[in-house]
Amino acid sequence: MTDEMIMEAVKNGDLKQASLLFERYNKRIFNFLARMTMDRVLAEDLTQNVFLRIIKYRNSYREGLRFQSWIYQVARNIFSDHYQMHKNKFSGFVEVEKISDHMAEMEENRDREEQEALLARSMAMLNDEQRELLVLTRFQHMKYEDVAVIMDTTVANIKVKVHRAIAKLREHYFELEKI
Amino acid sequence: MDNEKFETQLIDYIDGKLTEADRLQVEQELVRNDKAFKLYEQLKEVIHAMDRAERLEPSIQLKEQFDKMLATEVAASKPATRHIFLQPAFYRVAAAVALLIVGGGIGFWISKEHGQRQQLAEIEKELADTKVMMMALIENQQSASQRIQGVNVALTIENADDDVVKALVSRMNEDPNTNVRLAALDALSKFHNEPLVRKSLIASLTTQKDPVVQIALIQLMVKMKEKGIVEDLRRIVADEETMKAVKDEAYSGLMELS
Repeated sequence: MTDEMIMEAVKNGDLKQASLLFERYNKRIFNFLARMTMDRVLAEDLTQNVFLRIIKYRNSYREGLRFQSWIYQVARNIFSDHYQMHKNKFSGFVEVEKISDHMAEMEENRDREEQEALLARSMAMLNDEQRELLVLTRFQHMKYEDVAVIMDTTVANIKVKVHRAIAKLREHYFELEKI
Repeated sequence: MDNEKFETQLIDYIDGKLTEADRLQVEQELVRNDKAFKLYEQLKEVIHAMDRAERLEPSIQLKEQFDKMLATEVAASKPATRHIFLQPAFYRVAAAVALLIVGGGIGFWISKEHGQRQQLAEIEKELADTKVMMMALIENQQSASQRIQGVNVALTIENADDDVVKALVSRMNEDPNTNVRLAALDALSKFHNEPLVRKSLIASLTTQKDPVVQIALIQLMVKMKEKGIVEDLRRIVADEETMKAVKDEAYSGLMELS
């Protein structure tokens, strides 16, 4: 059964079917939000909110829209709502020093752990849009066409921006490596 | 060739997306130019680092929380059989509140009939203790589920005093968890005839940023026939940053109220 058929069933009142969508998407959405927030605990909370919103807003799902595009749009909104709501409470967006601690858990191999931590710190220095583009296209291997739908823009625009984001990431990565 | 264009070609080269002719041109440049080769090596390293990045695993709690949330939503979607009683601790607290309310009534009768003021004072103290326990649950910073339990206890009381109303308003406006904010709104809606509650609900519409709560708030105010929110609804409709679903709700609210 396709994602879209399941979502239609949820929309028609069969809410239990939402657990199938959770099985298919929870890890991808969690990974997206964990890479965006650099905080696994917060990412789990926000992932939970994505699925809550999918269920609460089930009637706003438009037939024919790809479910993947929709759920990522919801995840992006949840991410930006969260930081808008807390923008007065935190002085900075991400505390760069803490990132390596947060991300260190995920690697066993020491070299790769260091490389991954360096990558995470460089990612944190990008702006939200650049980080988001790299998470979707590089970490999650999503096609430019799909990302263009999620971000409501053209494929050519996405490509230019992704390339600029990679160029920027390279600069940060090798600047930090020198330290 | 300018730097940005060359960098873009290098990225396409690493991704294997160049035509044969462009590929040869890039390779010639890499052989000729040390600086270009270094740039290529660095780009390749960051691109491969992203490709190889570990896939993160969520904890088991994510699935457990989802299952709980889904069960609540399924129950809530059946209007006649709404179950909010999820946990044994909740049963105990709710039963205690119910007993105390009944006890309070009996105590009042006894005191009126027989003048046993001391007994009434004891029951009042127990009621106050229950309130303290409920407020402690509502204000538990560590656990969203405890806060929801506290808010649900508030749903069972007959009359909310100012302290309870203020605690609920603060949960509705400031709690980091959507479920708690919604539960607090739900509890407040029960006391919507109280002037303080009504005032707080209207004020929250101006500051509320969570679309799920905004929609629930608008629906409640329309049900209350609160015409004082018409200006706020117009502002929500006009605000470009408002989510479409919220705008739609505000539109339909305006239609009903004006």
